[in-house]
Amino acid sequence: MSKEMTIHLKYWKQNGPNDAGHFEEYTLDNVNEHMSFLEMLDVLNEELMLADKEPVEFDYDCREGICGSCNLVINGQAHGPKARVAACQLHMRNYKDGDHITIEPPRAAAFPVIKDLVVDRSAFDRIIEAGGYVSVKTGSAGEANAILVEKEKADAAFDYATCIGCGACVAACPNASASLFTGAKIAHLNKLPQGEVERKNRVVAMVDQMKEEGFGDCSNFAECEAVCPVGISISAIAEMRRDYMKAALRGD
Amino acid sequence: MPSFIKALNSQVGRKIMTGITGIGLMLFLIGHLAGNLTIFGESDAFNIYTYTLESLGPLLYVIEAGLAFFFLYHAILGISIWRQRKKARPEGYKKYQTKGGPSHQSLASRSMIISGSVILLFLVFHIWHFKFGPTETIALESVGTTEARDLRALVIAEFQKPLVAFGYIAVLALAILHLAHGAWSAFTSLGMKHNQTSKKVQIGAYIFAIVLMLGFIFIPLYIFLTGGEGSLIAY
Amino acid sequence: MKLDSKVPGGPLEQKWDKHLKDINLVAPNNKRKYEIIVVGTGLAGGAAAASFAELGYNVRSFCIQDSARRAHSIAAQGGINAAKNYPNDGDSIWRLFYDTIKGGDYRSRESNVYRLAQVSNEIIDQAVAQGVPFAREYGGTLANRSFGGAQVSRTFYARGQTGQQLLLGAYQAMMRQVHTGKIKYHPRHEMLDVVVIDGQARGIITRDLVSGELNRYEADAVVLATGGYGNVFYLSTNAKNSNVTAAWRAHKKGAAFANPCYVQVHPTCIPVSGDYQSKLTLMSESLRNDGRVWVPRKKGDDRHPNDIPEEERYYYLEERYPAFGNLVPRDVASRNAKMVCDDGLGVGETGLAVYLDFRDAIKRDGRDTIEAKYGNLFEMYENIAGENPYKQPMKIYPAVHYTMGGLWVDYNLQTTIPGLYAAGEANFSDHGANRLGASALMQGLSDGYFVLPYTIGDYLAKQEPGKRYGTDHEAFAEAENAAQSKIDKLLNVNGNRTIIDFHRTLGKIVWDKIGIARNAEGLKSAIEEIRELREEFWQNVKVPGEKNNYNKYLEFAGRVADFFELAELMAQDALDREESAGCHLREEYQTEEGEALRNDEEYSYVAAWEYKGLNGKLEEQLHKENLEFEFVELKQRSYK
Repeated sequence: MSKEMTIHLKYWKQNGPNDAGHFEEYTLDNVNEHMSFLEMLDVLNEELMLADKEPVEFDYDCREGICGSCNLVINGQAHGPKARVAACQLHMRNYKDGDHITIEPPRAAAFPVIKDLVVDRSAFDRIIEAGGYVSVKTGSAGEANAILVEKEKADAAFDYATCIGCGACVAACPNASASLFTGAKIAHLNKLPQGEVERKNRVVAMVDQMKEEGFGDCSNFAECEAVCPVGISISAIAEMRRDYMKAALRGD
Repeated sequence: MPSFIKALNSQVGRKIMTGITGIGLMLFLIGHLAGNLTIFGESDAFNIYTYTLESLGPLLYVIEAGLAFFFLYHAILGISIWRQRKKARPEGYKKYQTKGGPSHQSLASRSMIISGSVILLFLVFHIWHFKFGPTETIALESVGTTEARDLRALVIAEFQKPLVAFGYIAVLALAILHLAHGAWSAFTSLGMKHNQTSKKVQIGAYIFAIVLMLGFIFIPLYIFLTGGEGSLIAY
Repeated sequence: MKLDSKVPGGPLEQKWDKHLKDINLVAPNNKRKYEIIVVGTGLAGGAAAASFAELGYNVRSFCIQDSARRAHSIAAQGGINAAKNYPNDGDSIWRLFYDTIKGGDYRSRESNVYRLAQVSNEIIDQAVAQGVPFAREYGGTLANRSFGGAQVSRTFYARGQTGQQLLLGAYQAMMRQVHTGKIKYHPRHEMLDVVVIDGQARGIITRDLVSGELNRYEADAVVLATGGYGNVFYLSTNAKNSNVTAAWRAHKKGAAFANPCYVQVHPTCIPVSGDYQSKLTLMSESLRNDGRVWVPRKKGDDRHPNDIPEEERYYYLEERYPAFGNLVPRDVASRNAKMVCDDGLGVGETGLAVYLDFRDAIKRDGRDTIEAKYGNLFEMYENIAGENPYKQPMKIYPAVHYTMGGLWVDYNLQTTIPGLYAAGEANFSDHGANRLGASALMQGLSDGYFVLPYTIGDYLAKQEPGKRYGTDHEAFAEAENAAQSKIDKLLNVNGNRTIIDFHRTLGKIVWDKIGIARNAEGLKSAIEEIRELREEFWQNVKVPGEKNNYNKYLEFAGRVADFFELAELMAQDALDREESAGCHLREEYQTEEGEALRNDEEYSYVAAWEYKGLNGKLEEQLHKENLEFEFVELKQRSYK
């Protein structure tokens, strides 16, 4: 039979962006080892609601690690203790009976709290909006195989493109920098011949937007790479810097 | 395309300039150490070296101004990045820990602002202490002057004071931390990818920081322990 | 209600081109006078919004997620089909068309499916131009693989994340238009109703999920690209927020809902481990290429699987289907897993699982070969299930995956409400009674990039440019009030049972009785049970919090309320269809060998249901769109 355990939770409650916020505590008995972390929170909320208490809000959707909705900071680590999984794929068997778990929202000025553990990550949308695309008209693309792409380049671009936009990089960065997110999109598109055409404008626009949104600078802590649920390398940031240097020095 | 000034002010530009100034300062430190070690040469080698530097005239001022610019630019960027960090995360975590693995969070990387600030304060003292410190005038025959400053005597005298010697040693030890992260980080800021080379560069950075700073530390330590009369010091 | 499919005449290959020639165009200077609302930002919605904006229309895009990039298309793993025939293995538009029609068990419209196969090639061109990093060969050309039992290699893929990459392509195309100002972007907004004025869709009512505010938006046309309704089963591979609300509320406003009983169940998912389970995770069916499916021959055999000797293992797929063995199609594999579990042979704590064993494959090919092929899937399984599949068999069980049914649309993808369109999984159009692997992405993007941008112009050209009734119009007020009172009603019940509890119970009824296998008796009792539970829901549900704040449980309550109504329609539809077709298996209609038995004489139609009212019971009127097969010959599937 599967193991059950007692978990002591401490979670952030904040009723809107202007509320000061505070921690609440709750002890859950009968936490099944096979539960995912978010299922454990579902159970918490069921208990809270049946006791006429307010449930704790948190973001989630696919629960299979690809949509990037969940972004909890668990005991001070974005997505919890396990490397290369999102919180939705973190299972309670990674904890022991009697463990204490503190859950906080990602904390960054650019990600204001909406409620409890839910934050507004629209800054990421605006960074993409600034230049994270290829300006091709829909419906009139040329034959797909007309431009050959080296397999190594396509594979490298894919690795950067797997970013799920969860914001764990920002949450974990001691500076609250969005460089990994921004660098990953720049590196993905700039590596491919289709995106190469606009590489200079793209890198400048996206880097400017990142600053505009109030994220911090990158100090090469590489913590972002450690918490990234899809393991994007900080080489993405190197790519961004190289492209930026080329754009700034050579101009057009 | 961005103007050059705007590019320098971007988050990428700031980091690149931190790296460039950092590398410049490391090169300076290598030269500085090489010069310092002349104290263990012929009895007037150190004074010849300092006299030669001082007699560069206007060129010296240019070099000094350049150096000051590198130090200040590096320091201002560092402080500004640290301040932006406070702005970017006004409310910190109740609990925070690194996830390890590929992370470069360490005592060294997390204390850059502290080690950097201490080094900056130290620098002010260091310049006052030696560059503008009181010295006797001596003659240096080989360079044909009778009016050279006897900085060697000042250095040997000062480093026999426990407070000065150990103060220098403490700051220099702290500089190991700054350089251990900084030497790797500078290359990363200039576009080095996070791969096998990067791992080697990190190891190299640690070795570089330790060797360089032990070189600097050796001077006050040796002078203090031998009371300025060790066999390495020729009279 | 009259169903007019508006399929153009002429030879199959020329229908779409002819249609494009015949339909009306909107002049460029007029395009900017029209506004189009697109609800949903998955492959269909994202692609449509970007394409409309590209053409010069003003677009408003809505999604319930915090960013358009999170729509559930993102979770599609396998790939996307196209008739490019790059591997030169004899593929063609005709073959892709034929496979799709046959795979759908002859319950889809020939003209739509042919068009889908036609534009499939353009989708690949489009995606590549957007920078979608598809897998490539060493020579730099695009790579293909064979998928889902197809006899040709026509599937394009980006490792196991094809859906993610295609969605990000559409999302980025959309964000580019947000940047130009042609798209006004509204994430964290849920559509609660469609506003119909003089018989035409003229706008929507939304709830801002952050502030709780209800808003009115007017437009010249509305596109629903809001996905499928698999979450009616509570447990499915869908994302937690996937729902039927937009489609269902449009249905209640007059849009016919077609074939709701066609639900695809995927055979290889990680089984349920307990009541707390919130969703099911799919694992690529490619696993069945090397894994052998079995259960113990003896009931209640609780030995460790590795201790059960060969002769006591029941390799039921290999025994029953010697020709295809473990590679039978999805529906056959799913049904058989359910049958052996119903017979008490299931394994695991719940008894609702079968083994998928790689022991023999590892012995034959070596662990390294198996790891190279399935390493990431094995890792995922171990992470979720906590067992090492190299050392002991995986446990798998079928799970609801995709809904072929949806809003009825004509050839132009217009619903029975003029000006209201449905695209992607939200419509019923292309997959018949069963969808083939790697076809969902193809359909979503086809609808969004290549069909709607043209067909919507045909409708708009006939509308007066810039005509506005104003959001003060009584139709807007009525729709908003109705939405508001529904929210108030939910909050005021203040009962004792949680929303999840109700949803889970509903899901169990639907799974047991309108699931993999159905029969008349079960369906009738399901209808009764659904009605009773729905009644109780409105008496006893507990919805926490306030309406003027972020309140996820309030969102869920509204969605579950709609699932309750849809569930009853699914049962009615399944009851009406007295045949077995594709994923719809009526136990009364099987061949002697226990295979699905179609009845082409009587049931070769699309069942389009018209909402008539809800008063304790759901009243719906059936309209039939007869399916004519001019170009293909109907055959019985056989996998023996």
